[in-house]
Amino acid sequence: MKTWMNWLPTIIIFAPLLGLFILLFTPKKKQNLIRVIGIVATLPSLALLLYLFQHFDLGQKDWQWVQNIPWFQFTFAGERGWAFFYHLGVDGISMPLLFMTALISTLTAIASVKIQSRIREYYMLLLLMETSMLGVFFSLNLFLFFIFFEVILVAMYFLIGIWGQIQKERAANLFLLYNGLGSGFLLFAMVLLLMMCNTLEFPDISKMIPLAAKAEPTFTWVIFWSLLIAFAIKLPIFPFHTWMLRVHVQAAPSVVMIHAGILLKIGAYGLLRFHVGWFPEQMKQVSILLITFGLINLFYGAILAFVQKELRQVLAYSSISHMGILLVGIASMQLIGLQGALFQAISHGFIAALFFFLVAILYERTNTTELNELGGLTKSMPYFAGFLLFTGLASLGLPGLSGFISEFLSFLGLFRQHVILGSIASLGLIFAAVYILRAMMKINYGPTPKRFDQLSDLRWTESLPIAVFVAVIIGIGIAPDLIGKSMQMTLQMMLERIGG
Amino acid sequence: MRWITLTILLLPLLSFLLLIGGRKWRSRGLVAGIGVLTSYGAFHLSSYLLMNMIQKKTQVVISMPWLTLSDQVVHLGIKIGALQAVMLVLVSLVSCLVQIYSWGYMRDDERFPVFFAYLGLFTFSMLGLVSSANLLQIYIFWELVGLCSFLLIGYWYYKPEARDAAKKAFIVTRIGDVGFFIAILMIFWKIGSFELDAVSKAVSTGTISGVWVTWIAILILIGAIGKSGQFPLHTWLPDAMEGPTPVSALIHAATMVTAGIYLVAATFPVFLASSYALDIVSYIGGFTAIFAACIALVQTDIKRVLAYSTVSQLGYMMLALGSKGYVEGIFHLVTHGFFKALLFLAAGAVIVSLHHEQDLRKMGGLWKKNRGLAIWFLIGCFALVGLPPFSGFFSKDEILQTVYMDGRIGLFVLALITVFLTAFYVFRLYHLIFAGTSRTEQKNTPVPKVMMVPIAILGLLSTLAGFVQFPKAYFSSFLLQGSKLASLTSEAAPAWIGWVAVLFSLFGVGLATLLYWRGYQPAKPRVGLIGWAHRILEQKFYIDQLYHYVFALPLKGLGYFLIGWDRFVVGGLVRLVGLVPVGLSRIASMLQNGQTQTYALVSLIGFILLVIGVTVGRFFS
Repeated sequence: MKTWMNWLPTIIIFAPLLGLFILLFTPKKKQNLIRVIGIVATLPSLALLLYLFQHFDLGQKDWQWVQNIPWFQFTFAGERGWAFFYHLGVDGISMPLLFMTALISTLTAIASVKIQSRIREYYMLLLLMETSMLGVFFSLNLFLFFIFFEVILVAMYFLIGIWGQIQKERAANLFLLYNGLGSGFLLFAMVLLLMMCNTLEFPDISKMIPLAAKAEPTFTWVIFWSLLIAFAIKLPIFPFHTWMLRVHVQAAPSVVMIHAGILLKIGAYGLLRFHVGWFPEQMKQVSILLITFGLINLFYGAILAFVQKELRQVLAYSSISHMGILLVGIASMQLIGLQGALFQAISHGFIAALFFFLVAILYERTNTTELNELGGLTKSMPYFAGFLLFTGLASLGLPGLSGFISEFLSFLGLFRQHVILGSIASLGLIFAAVYILRAMMKINYGPTPKRFDQLSDLRWTESLPIAVFVAVIIGIGIAPDLIGKSMQMTLQMMLERIGG
Repeated sequence: MRWITLTILLLPLLSFLLLIGGRKWRSRGLVAGIGVLTSYGAFHLSSYLLMNMIQKKTQVVISMPWLTLSDQVVHLGIKIGALQAVMLVLVSLVSCLVQIYSWGYMRDDERFPVFFAYLGLFTFSMLGLVSSANLLQIYIFWELVGLCSFLLIGYWYYKPEARDAAKKAFIVTRIGDVGFFIAILMIFWKIGSFELDAVSKAVSTGTISGVWVTWIAILILIGAIGKSGQFPLHTWLPDAMEGPTPVSALIHAATMVTAGIYLVAATFPVFLASSYALDIVSYIGGFTAIFAACIALVQTDIKRVLAYSTVSQLGYMMLALGSKGYVEGIFHLVTHGFFKALLFLAAGAVIVSLHHEQDLRKMGGLWKKNRGLAIWFLIGCFALVGLPPFSGFFSKDEILQTVYMDGRIGLFVLALITVFLTAFYVFRLYHLIFAGTSRTEQKNTPVPKVMMVPIAILGLLSTLAGFVQFPKAYFSSFLLQGSKLASLTSEAAPAWIGWVAVLFSLFGVGLATLLYWRGYQPAKPRVGLIGWAHRILEQKFYIDQLYHYVFALPLKGLGYFLIGWDRFVVGGLVRLVGLVPVGLSRIASMLQNGQTQTYALVSLIGFILLVIGVTVGRFFS
């Protein structure tokens, strides 16, 4: 492989930063130029990731596109020392997530043209977000991972706090409070891991944990739980979900696209990478407990979504419910379930992002997202209403769309692990239909209020990104192996470690 | 043959894609032409396929890999056997006729292309359902036909009734779907495959046995109950009449609602392996048949009478299947498809000619105004009641014989009583529409010619379709070719059953005629037992109300309880945690003084300097 190929992951991660620097020197007044730069700056990463995806070796078990450079080290007296590496690479878990991140970032940048104030700062933060999210999925070193993880936190804090609705500051603080707590646990776990394994390299840690677990069982469990809390907050798992409700409602819709679309998936990624990857034995032992929490998420979110009076609240609780499905998929510790969970991460990423793309449009036209004030939009905005219904159907798991594949696989995995819990989880399909249809039909159906008679339907700048979303959602739905095959090898390898 | 089969499926899909893209097209002829021609093409090829199969006794099998699941690869596949070929012809034919009819019926509608697009999508999904070779694929199309049903019931989106009916249809059928879904999970868990062939093989070799067969059968049945409007999940079907009448004919009478029957037939080996499951199928079918027929006795909306009649007839089909009458169930499915589509289309013509009036109490006297329509409608009624030589007679007679021979005499009696009830409500309906004098002042509008053509074709089919089983059982021998089910056909049942059934129907027809031949009589206040029974029937046994209080309200209550819980208990936790880092409030104040970007920049630059410092430090160490 040529040398520049080694640098490909690095180039992908930091390409958006180039845009950020150009924006630094762009005059504030040139708003349209800023928007164009902001959008264009997300494209190189997307294009290169497509290239990467195309050349991804399906049969390979090991990491691909690896770049490993010694970074810095602390040497102690004696021969022991801690070396830190700038270590990047992809495997079957990160590949689809990276692709999703890049695509949603581009679409978010397009959706962000609706932002009217402090545009330059907004796009700079957005590009910083993209870099750090890509970095999180590319990192093969826990320290590197942690740095990117923290940058996300900071950038998101400002994105929520500056461009949100009336209560944006509270939402931002709550976000920081919870996620700061999560970071604390992550940091704690990192330090303990460093002490236990003397390294933060992913490939090394996964080999050392089974040995270390035998020598230091309590120690291992402490690391396991603190990592679990860190990612339970991110996902979020009940009862750590309060912060994300606020963010869904108070942040600008385009920021929520990133938040619901990608950030929640970092929780899923953490569970897959660290818990399934490093602690499969321990995961097996807490499987039933985690499944129970997944079911609580699933039904708690669904029932609460059913009684909300505001669209973004419905979607927030719907996200909780969908993350419950993801959690039961992971907790089943069956290959099919893990596949389902990863599918769910990607599918929900696109569906949630599309939902908030539509929310942005809806709010711009009607100035409300209260369900009781809306109605009959099929008449004045038929294309919008059609796409909204489409997204709703994708979200309730209609076959032929991406949500079905992920739910089906997650439940199938769970069913193999536990028949009765699997059957109970399947009842979630009914609840999803109930709350989604209620919300969608309140908006689309019924008589059209007078003041909504003359709304303008989608412009092409809006329909084009929607078309991309729709294509991806249908694409995954009818040809799931497009992304399914890439995850197969990695997940299989992880599970082979159990009992090995 | 494979290409022909694929073309059958793809033609309606093409129609959907063209018309949903061309939703702004003004030319109705073009739009309807695309719909009619594609479905006719599907019908033409399906008939060719059927003919070919009758002569050569072959099957069509197509399979392609779709999804990799740990160690298995799930395939998408098509397998056309005798049952599937019959279903393909039925579906594509009725779809084509209904689209011709819609050309007239929907002519003033604003979203004309959208309507045809939905019909195209439905036809595609239904054809896909009946040609699928595995259960997962059946489930996929099963949900898609449900979606089309939902879209078309709610087609007049601005009507709150249509909205509610659409939502109800989706949710109630989804309850059934989850049963089917779990059955699929269970089958995969047990045998690691979704293929129908693998399922019947696993049953015959005993890989799945005992209690699991019964569970799987019951779960599949739950799916069938939802889709085919059987008790206790029947409540959505009558409400579905809020959709346009052509939709009621195609989806909610002739094709989609029979998907449940088809599903049970397609997985029949599983049911045969469990006598419990067969019992449940029979009792649900038999009970639904008489239960829905009772409600139909007092309904005053023309389409609702027909809807309850559909529920009741689907009950007959279930009853037949539960009595091991595989051919009988399918035979009635086909004849019912013809005569019920006829009745709905004719009812639609009645509705059009009466300015979209659907209330039977305001009809009457149409015999004199539109003789042609009255005769076609009458043919449909004869077929539904089951008088010879109309098709319903043969299929219903066979069902009665099967039930009798299977030995559940109680159900046999119920089925006979239902024959009487059916005859009564059908002719009550007929007389209220056609007999006596008109009870409205408005003049009749003429019915467009293009609507009469499909009615006539269906009328002929309803009359003649019975002769595929008489005088010789051609239909049975075709359906059972090369199948293990052949051994099920019992020895001849006593001939008196047919005569008694005809007697019961004549009695019902006579009584209805006696009571209603002068048209509708404004009701005398009904008192005592009769009044009480009448009220219960009018309220459809209070099932809707029951569900409302038992399921909907508690769910809502739980929801509101959880809102409080989420806000105060879970949210209270936050405030507790929030007290710890008081310093955080200082960061918050930054957000308010407008200098945020400076702070953001400063903290970022500081952070980056730190990382760079550590990195560069490496070179000096």
